[in-house]
Amino acid sequence: MTIYSLYIFDRHCDCVYYQDWHRTSPIRSPPITNFKPGVHRLQPPLSLNQLNDNQNIHVRESIFSENNNVINRTSLVSNGTSIDQNQNTKQNKLSLPKGLPFDEESKLVYGVILSLRNMVKKLSGREEAFTSYSTSSYKLHLFETPTNYRFVLLSDPSSDSLRFVLRQLYVGPFLEFVIRNPLINVDSRTEGIDNDQFRAAVDRHVKGLSMFS
Amino acid sequence: MTIHGLWVISKAGGLVFSRSYSDVLPPQPVNTILTLAGILHGIHAITAKLDPAPIPGTPTGGLESFEAEGWGGKVFLTPTGTKFVVLHSLPQSGLEELMRRIYEIYSDAVMKNPFHTPEMPINSALFDTKLQTLMSSMNA
Repeated sequence: MTIYSLYIFDRHCDCVYYQDWHRTSPIRSPPITNFKPGVHRLQPPLSLNQLNDNQNIHVRESIFSENNNVINRTSLVSNGTSIDQNQNTKQNKLSLPKGLPFDEESKLVYGVILSLRNMVKKLSGREEAFTSYSTSSYKLHLFETPTNYRFVLLSDPSSDSLRFVLRQLYVGPFLEFVIRNPLINVDSRTEGIDNDQFRAAVDRHVKGLSMFS
Repeated sequence: MTIHGLWVISKAGGLVFSRSYSDVLPPQPVNTILTLAGILHGIHAITAKLDPAPIPGTPTGGLESFEAEGWGGKVFLTPTGTKFVVLHSLPQSGLEELMRRIYEIYSDAVMKNPFHTPEMPINSALFDTKLQTLMSSMNA
């Protein structure tokens, strides 16, 4: 029994939070143009690292990070060629990053949920969403709140319904550290809801589950 | 366990057969089922890409089953790409066996029929009656 990852989507269909545990498939950070702070803690894109080193430009990892500088787009464009060359040589030395960029993956997850949800609704003729689906290698659990937040958990295929876990995460850490947190702009379309307390509380909760190993 | 319906989807994503075997789920127009079958075909492809822990060297499988409140669906993919989708009530048991039986009936009544064109809608009275017997024994 394992838990792979957790996604939270808001009513604007944007992913506002991501965390993973036993995931082995590679995932890349989104390109600099689609980088949204406060969602995940993936390594910033390679070009961002270099920008940080070379030009002292910072992108906030979390919305509570101290550096509030905004990415300077013009310098990105003017130095584009040299960055690309640097990146190529660096990538050849290391291994080439594999996997989908995070923004594309979260769109795929949301797309599957939305289509399957609509299909189930049409077939049953009632206002109901699907609760889970499974493939040979993983199972996806969905929990929707009345405010249209969608909590998505990926676990191994043999696990029972884990919607109660998602509900616990919603009534526990989510209400406590996101909704009741005045520093979080919950309806923002440019930032996620990530903060240290929430991430730690989710981590503690998931690691305390009997099916987490 | 009650079987609500069966769809057969060709490898290109087209619906070639659909029957309803209970009145729990409301009857749908053929066009709706045709669309839904196409959507399911797409979902199947995407879900295989989202695998969080692929084993290197083995192909990742797509959607196998989904559950809603009180009912669910099971997808069986044959090696040739044809998909059988069974809509059933929950809790379910013995679906694997049922899927194999359906595949067997399909091979006997459809694939061995010299007048059947592959990838085209199935118009076989034999297939229909054999399935009807199987489903009524399940739903009894």
